[in-house]
Amino acid sequence: MINLKIDGKDVQIASGATILDAAEKVAIKIPTLCYLKKISPTGACRICAVEVEGADKTMTACNTRAVNGMVVTTQSEKLTLIRRQIVELLLVNHPLDCPVCDAGGECDLQDVCYSQDVVRQSFEAEDVNAATIDHWPLIQQVPNRCIMCEKCVKTCHETIGSSALFVNEKGDRAFIDKDLDKCEFCGNCVQVCPTGTMISKPFKFKARPWELRKTPSVCTLCAAQCQLDINSKHGKVLRMTSEDGITVNDGNLCVGGFFGHDYLNSDQRLTVPLLDQQVTSWETALDKVVTGFTRLRDEQGGQAIAGLASPHLTNEENYLFQKLFRVALGSNNIDSEARFSSLRASKVLKKLLKLNGASNHLDRIGQAEAVLVFGADLRSESPALNWQVQRAARKNDSRLIVANQRQVKLVKQAESFLQYRAGSEAYLAGALTKLLVDKGLADNDFLKRCVGNRDELENYLNGLDLDAACAATGVSLAHLEEAADYLGQAASVAIVFGRDVMGSARAEDAVAALSNLALVSGALHGDRGGLFPVAAKGNTQGLIDAGVAPEFLPGLVDYTAGKEKFAASWHTALPEGGADASGILAGIEAGTIRALFLAATNPLISFPESARWRKALEKLDLLVVQDILASDLTRLATVVLPGAASAEKRGSVTALDQRVNTLRVAVAPPGAARPDLAILSDLFARLTGKPEPSEKVIRQEMMELSGGYADVCLNLEQRSFCWKQAYAPAEKSLLAATPELTTPAAVDLQLLVGKCPFQFGTTTTYSKANNELAPEGLIFVNPEDAVKLGVADGGQLKVTGPAGSTRGKVMVHAMVPAGLLTASDNFADMNIQQIMPSGSICVAVTASKA
Amino acid sequence: MAEMVFSSWGGKVVDNRQGGEPAAAAFKLPDNYLEEGNVGAFMGWDGVIVLDKDIDIVSMAAEYMKRVQEKYCCAKCTPGKRGTRVMMDTLARIVAGHGDESDLDTLTGLSDLLENCKCTLCMTAAKPVLDTVKYFRDDYLAYLRGERKSKQAKAYHDKLTAPCMDRCPAHIDIPAYIEEIKDYRHDESLSTIRRNMPIPAVCGRVCPHPCESACRRALIDEPISIMVLKRVAADHELLHVQEPPMKPKEATGKKVIVVGAGPAGLTCAYYLALEGHKVKIIDMLTEPGGTVAVGIPDYRMPRPLLQREADIITALGVEIEYGVKLGRDVSLRELKDQYDAVFLGTGAFKSKPMGVEGEDEGYEGFSEGGINYLRAVALNQGMVTPKRVIVVGGGNTAIDCVRVALREGAEDSILVYRRTRKEMPAESYEVDDAEEENVQFEFLRNPTRLIVENNKVIGVEVIKMELGEPDDSGRRRPQEVPGSEYIIPCDMVIPAIGQDPDLSYLEDGDYGIKQTRWNSIVTKGGTMMTDNKGVFAGGDCEYGAMTVVLAVGHGRRAARAMHRYLMEGKAYLDEEDAMEDIVNNLGVFDKTENVGIIGGLHREHQPKVNGAERAHNYDEIELAMPESQAVREAERCLRCYRVAMLAVN
Repeated sequence: MINLKIDGKDVQIASGATILDAAEKVAIKIPTLCYLKKISPTGACRICAVEVEGADKTMTACNTRAVNGMVVTTQSEKLTLIRRQIVELLLVNHPLDCPVCDAGGECDLQDVCYSQDVVRQSFEAEDVNAATIDHWPLIQQVPNRCIMCEKCVKTCHETIGSSALFVNEKGDRAFIDKDLDKCEFCGNCVQVCPTGTMISKPFKFKARPWELRKTPSVCTLCAAQCQLDINSKHGKVLRMTSEDGITVNDGNLCVGGFFGHDYLNSDQRLTVPLLDQQVTSWETALDKVVTGFTRLRDEQGGQAIAGLASPHLTNEENYLFQKLFRVALGSNNIDSEARFSSLRASKVLKKLLKLNGASNHLDRIGQAEAVLVFGADLRSESPALNWQVQRAARKNDSRLIVANQRQVKLVKQAESFLQYRAGSEAYLAGALTKLLVDKGLADNDFLKRCVGNRDELENYLNGLDLDAACAATGVSLAHLEEAADYLGQAASVAIVFGRDVMGSARAEDAVAALSNLALVSGALHGDRGGLFPVAAKGNTQGLIDAGVAPEFLPGLVDYTAGKEKFAASWHTALPEGGADASGILAGIEAGTIRALFLAATNPLISFPESARWRKALEKLDLLVVQDILASDLTRLATVVLPGAASAEKRGSVTALDQRVNTLRVAVAPPGAARPDLAILSDLFARLTGKPEPSEKVIRQEMMELSGGYADVCLNLEQRSFCWKQAYAPAEKSLLAATPELTTPAAVDLQLLVGKCPFQFGTTTTYSKANNELAPEGLIFVNPEDAVKLGVADGGQLKVTGPAGSTRGKVMVHAMVPAGLLTASDNFADMNIQQIMPSGSICVAVTASKA
Repeated sequence: MAEMVFSSWGGKVVDNRQGGEPAAAAFKLPDNYLEEGNVGAFMGWDGVIVLDKDIDIVSMAAEYMKRVQEKYCCAKCTPGKRGTRVMMDTLARIVAGHGDESDLDTLTGLSDLLENCKCTLCMTAAKPVLDTVKYFRDDYLAYLRGERKSKQAKAYHDKLTAPCMDRCPAHIDIPAYIEEIKDYRHDESLSTIRRNMPIPAVCGRVCPHPCESACRRALIDEPISIMVLKRVAADHELLHVQEPPMKPKEATGKKVIVVGAGPAGLTCAYYLALEGHKVKIIDMLTEPGGTVAVGIPDYRMPRPLLQREADIITALGVEIEYGVKLGRDVSLRELKDQYDAVFLGTGAFKSKPMGVEGEDEGYEGFSEGGINYLRAVALNQGMVTPKRVIVVGGGNTAIDCVRVALREGAEDSILVYRRTRKEMPAESYEVDDAEEENVQFEFLRNPTRLIVENNKVIGVEVIKMELGEPDDSGRRRPQEVPGSEYIIPCDMVIPAIGQDPDLSYLEDGDYGIKQTRWNSIVTKGGTMMTDNKGVFAGGDCEYGAMTVVLAVGHGRRAARAMHRYLMEGKAYLDEEDAMEDIVNNLGVFDKTENVGIIGGLHREHQPKVNGAERAHNYDEIELAMPESQAVREAERCLRCYRVAMLAVN
């Protein structure tokens, strides 16, 4: 501990702390301008200058470490003069456009002028008058307003890991410039800018800060669920902000959170119910649904009706959705897009590790000594997890190991890159596990205590041939050993895996192998690190918890085993059987399923075999689509029920790390649109003849029955969140797996479906801002393949997969290895899912110039 | 030396403008700047020096501040960025005849405010300007009254420097690379280092880091771990399996031969290759690195890392042919004929004799020299180390020998040195390391005679010494204590007194290449070119056995001069080189300076394997400093930039 004196007050503070930290501890306020807690101190503005006994010169509080015996003065005539002169210098040629400056009213420079009593400016210099930079997409830079605090530069580099911003030029001409190729358009530069230098173009001139109403809520575009404030004016959402320090995301947002909200104001929003594509009343629309469903239920039984829910819905909505089907319609034909990825992982992890989702909180990734990112493009799939990896690798000396088929952005920061072949995931994870054991680096304490079948694991690993693993994965033994050393030598390990794993043809084996690796590496042991499956979409965890799957009741309770108990709670018998997404598709095609309820989900783009879905949907007697945006799907629907977006409704959602967040109403749904829970409640009441269940009752019931939510206490009126029950494996309760190991067959050309970094599902393709960055789907082609195929950047490629063909614009990039194409499934035009089979996101394809 | 007109350098004002006895200057400035003209005045961090009374000091101050603001100010702090801008514009206004007396107050006031800058660049740049306002007030007033028109000097030359950067023989931009580490930008840090130093993994480990002895941080607490931070930047690229970003320029069609793949040769080849020249290196050894490879044991400098540095250089198109010795396999004349330029980086491989009875008899158990011993071990040439080994000498090679002997199986490894530990030229931390590994020391002993039985060394007779008056090197001269001889029994004696260059390859003809009396090659005027046009030399063969970093500095300087020679037919110094030398001659570090802030922070050390664990293997002893610790260390840097400007008339 360090003892020092500030303004006569004794302070004791941990070694390494700065004078500013120490002053804060005793509530002494030192003025700052360039200081930002989440980045390394810059010491640029010099306003926090203080006097230190024994020093002739002033020293800056923000970046001077406190040392024993220091005597600091923070207020004196000399300091007042210095601070004032410094602010005066900042004001030299600073434009007097505060009235039309976006930062006016929330400008730190204004505030510091005010607090330091700077009422005039005595210096004179020629005005550099640098031109405004307007050619960047979405962000405008006004150099004249810049005070060169470098908050944007450092946040971009240290926190986000984009490293796009830099200081260009020298002296007074210096300005913040950008390498556009590196920019992720997360908007954090705009958020941290203390003045109006970095400006969001979509927000510019839309509102004065004091006119905005801030509604604390969460972003549901991805499963990390960052906390933010929805800024609205006159019932319109105009921007998103997030506060440092008090939010789990420490104020950081990504391109989705910051710019993606524009879909809320899209002219494609559904504002009125439609019946046969004609505007109708809620009464008529709901009556049509109720009579249609009731007739089928009564005539053909509940099995003639099916429903698909969505990670876009809240926990309560998903809960009520499945209850509506099981209780009111007598149908267990319910499923969701989680079927194709997250649910596959959940089933395996539940069985082996008694784990439902991630084992630890997101910030524990940032604290782990080693991080393995396996089959995930974190920057695209879940930027908030990428920030955690940035923290681990950049600031906390963590070893980063990236296992991926392609050179994802994180590879540059990895100390070990395991570039594996599609289909060899289980082999790769298995080989790493074996090496950890062979090298004596396994977490034996944990294994002994928690794993019930260690012998089985030992036998299994003994039978694993490393040479075969190298041949199957295409990774050299030296690389595997290096990665195993990194994992084994670390006292805490985080394993993050994503869509490439959960969507692969052999996802169950791959997840099981990763589960073994988690056991052996100690990822499940201790407070740091953990096992983190990266769910694709916002409320996937809540959707799974709610039991929207034929084989599971809420809380991931086995349907058959739990049926009686739930039947008792719900006071009704539960239906037998039940079809999953594939079964529903086949049932529609076979004519056994006649009506389908799609709640906030679009199989025409988001599901594999999307073309087959389209044909099937055309056959239905009744297609009910509850959604927020018009699409080809709503154009097919018999009844369209306009729902509400997350900024327009209340409810709870669960992040991938078991954090239960609350959505709050920032603005009303457009037109006659209603919150989804209200629609479902209304339908439930109409179908059962019982009174409409209240929101509170539904939430109560959902929490009681969904497992892990028992202690969750939500306050829907404030920014708050609660954790689901923490993961705490009981002794001998965990199982090591013996996944099948297969060597993938040689394939000339494969296609891997992923996610566009600038788009989130299809939702943000309705946001002008995101479309400015990524207007259409691209097919990434390795330069060698591009030559073979005779295509160049911007050319068109026709790709044929197991389920059909599509075409898309080519982007030639060495990020993808030869023999692999990648495309994202965000775009309706390319609709890459129409060529994909169910159950694998990486398949053999043929391609030709189109 | 030109007569001095005025000087405020170092706070000592000498004013001969009204005549008077020219005081002896406390600084070293040349009379002429290259062939351009006379040195008229100099401005920098420590004041103003005027040698030519016709220099318009006000115009010079205006030009100086303009360069500081427009060329060097990093803009990363408010007083620096805006303060120097206001000063620049104020001076410009005065020179243009539009100033008024309040402008002088502005200049004075801002000079004070600049004391609050983030670094010393703008802060020290205010000093000479303030001195001009103070001591040349009449000149300013003449401008303010409109009585004077600006008179520019024939030319101005400027230079960015820092005490560490100046002291580093390779002149690496140390404050920049440290700041980049502080900002978590290791790639950029390494690129900065590579502008002056292509073997950072080596110099991040075994550099004697003279820079650290010129670190201003030491004036308030302890010097920055400059060397180790260099290793952190270099290791970052290696650990993250990144491809180095350098790409050579378009091919020039010129061919260069570099003799010796040691630090000087590798460096020279690297910078020539980047300029687009076709470079071939020949080396008598079987691997790259020269003395670094075979003279520095692997526990200090793991050779795979050295190999990687060489691989990076060959990836730029440089070819290396091993096992070729100049003078034996090829003559200098042949090389001259076949190539457009030659660089000699042949090192200093010849051990100096101890000057004791029997050392040239070829006894078994007598090593020719420390460097020979180390090389034989490194190259696995069947060197058998017996149980009891005596190494004579006090330098780094001697320390390396005693420590290698332990690793090669010696039970007693004894260092005999004629002075005390304090006078040892070896790095003190290495002496500590040797001690931790159980090396024995016999200080104040000097060998006088080898004790031999059956043509085999069985001991060495030493005489006790005591320290007398200081000699030329400032160290106290050792004197024999008469009659104090005694015998230390041993199986092997290794003299590690020093090495000389072996220039026998110059003997096969008259190349006109001058040599010093210490058998080193003479080069001219900082261009590293010998008297034989087109033949350049650097490193130990030019200077005598010295440091890796000096060899790197030579290699780079030679490459720059060679590039000009190849492209323009003339080897000469450009502004950067010339100003580098002028500033270096003047000296930048002032150990008496009052830094004005308080320190109180310790320097960070990299972790180290303990003595017992390491004493019998060649694994690297110093472990990598975690990057977060490196950032903490980098935060201590005071970024002591200074800008110098010279006026030529």
